[in-house]
Amino acid sequence: MTITNVMSEVIGSVWKVDMKVGDAVKTGDTIMILESMKMEIPVEAPVDGTLAELKVKPEESVDEDQVLCTIES
Amino acid sequence: MRHDEIPETLDGRLKLLREREEVARQMGGTEKLARREAAGVMNARSRIDALLDPGTFSENGLLGVSAVFEEEREKTPADGKVAGFGLIKGRRVAVVSNDFTVKGASSSTTNMKKIGHVKRTATDRGFPLIFLGESSGARMPDNMGSEGMGTMLGNDPHQYVRERDTPWASAVLGQCFGSSALYSCLADFTVMRKGGILAVASPALASLAIGQNVEPEDLGGWKLLSEETGLVDRVVETDEEAIAEVRQFLSYMPSHNGETPPIAAIPEGSDEAAERIPQILPDSRKRGYDVRKIIGCIVDRESFFEFKPRFGRPAVTGLARLDGNVVGMVANNPISKAGALDVASCEKITSFLVMCDSFNIPIVMLVDTPGFVIGIEGEKKKAPGKIMNFMSALQMCTVPKLSVIMRKSYGQAYLNMGGGRNSDSVAVWPTAEVSFMDPEYATEVVTWGKDVDNEEKRVIREEMERNNTYLGIAEIFAAQTVIAPQDTRRYLIEELKIQQLRRSGGIGRHRLANWPTTF
Repeated sequence: MTITNVMSEVIGSVWKVDMKVGDAVKTGDTIMILESMKMEIPVEAPVDGTLAELKVKPEESVDEDQVLCTIES
Repeated sequence: MRHDEIPETLDGRLKLLREREEVARQMGGTEKLARREAAGVMNARSRIDALLDPGTFSENGLLGVSAVFEEEREKTPADGKVAGFGLIKGRRVAVVSNDFTVKGASSSTTNMKKIGHVKRTATDRGFPLIFLGESSGARMPDNMGSEGMGTMLGNDPHQYVRERDTPWASAVLGQCFGSSALYSCLADFTVMRKGGILAVASPALASLAIGQNVEPEDLGGWKLLSEETGLVDRVVETDEEAIAEVRQFLSYMPSHNGETPPIAAIPEGSDEAAERIPQILPDSRKRGYDVRKIIGCIVDRESFFEFKPRFGRPAVTGLARLDGNVVGMVANNPISKAGALDVASCEKITSFLVMCDSFNIPIVMLVDTPGFVIGIEGEKKKAPGKIMNFMSALQMCTVPKLSVIMRKSYGQAYLNMGGGRNSDSVAVWPTAEVSFMDPEYATEVVTWGKDVDNEEKRVIREEMERNNTYLGIAEIFAAQTVIAPQDTRRYLIEELKIQQLRRSGGIGRHRLANWPTTF
């Protein structure tokens, strides 16, 4: 079993979260959408697996390289 | 050994030579070498073995030693810097590999002559130079005092001149102060192993100078260099990976600036990926995406070799191949700051343009930027000057320059990203928007201080948005062609053939060749 950290590419805030803990994810699936510089930034799953943990909530601020969620595979 | 102790016969002299060579190859001794091996760190000679094609190393200066103090002769095998020539994938290169086990690979009178020799030969004869860095700086106390300084330093008026006659690559493979740091900054490509340090002086000396403890990683660790200063192009975990990346970098480069880059075979499946671009490009203009996925669909499969991926992230730069030919890719990345170019992005693109133009590598620009980042932070870092460095570099490039406006291209960034005559040919996608300013902000500017309600503003904004489209720029021939995203690869391959520098055999004028190596 491997845990993969999914990190933010940007400084911004969480606009909406499309998935919930326990959901199956495939590489490239959009897990959540951040907002930064008036742009929607999709956060995609880097690996196949199960969404193990969501570390942020909508409207929360995020930093570059902050871990947003983890995927178990 | 004293000269009068040398045997008289040839056999005797050859035997002595072999013994001396063997001693020199032992570097700083078995104990120090074992410690490195236990730590998973290669030594100066195993690094050369990994770098060069097997059996091709021709060493120069194997018997060189420190000659300043008599007692040092026996303690300085190869004088701490292993230098010579060899082949990488059959192509000639020069290499200097620092041997930290011998006096911390500090710079001395003898080993600086070794560096000078391979550097001069590589430049004059036209092949790349590679520095495998790990050095402590100038050798002490050899260069102390006015006599020491006068003897050791300042004897080569071209020592730090970078005219980009041939490519230089550098690997930061440990503590790099002095020459290893300096040559890394002069190189066209620098890869760093995590755990390595690159700085002007050691943490110990820096701590002494400023009276407080300085942590090595804070002074010159990989995060600082790859994310904040951009002095290194790539970061890896091991020596082996770093050396593999040097080889990979050189596979894109000509041996010298009078040649065009080598042509590679086209991997199967390279043409099919372009069909995926419409799925990557979001329908909404407000939705970001990672432009590296688009690049991956355009260039030859798996040929993209990114430079400074963690520095100036709104810009993406890297070498790649199109139909087997090397190109320099410059793109805006909407996933970072919406693709708005900041100071670091300008520095990153400028240094990349300088390298590509110096080595006859055509430039492809993929445009999706709302403009330059504005604000106090950028101004403090000389943003207008950085934008002009970038602009000036682009206008001085004489290699073919192609620009593809994928989506947003606004204001000065329109020019910096090759708009108008700032590239040899401009193609636009039907999703392109071109204007002086994003309509949302422009609406505020034109209604500033006026009694205009939100509904009127909406009408003004929508009118501006309608006037931003690809048709306007195509109809007045400010763009040369309109293409579907999935045709971009085909278009670029064909356009690069059209724009080839036939009259000079593919060789540019290299007007940026002596520009600085950091910006």
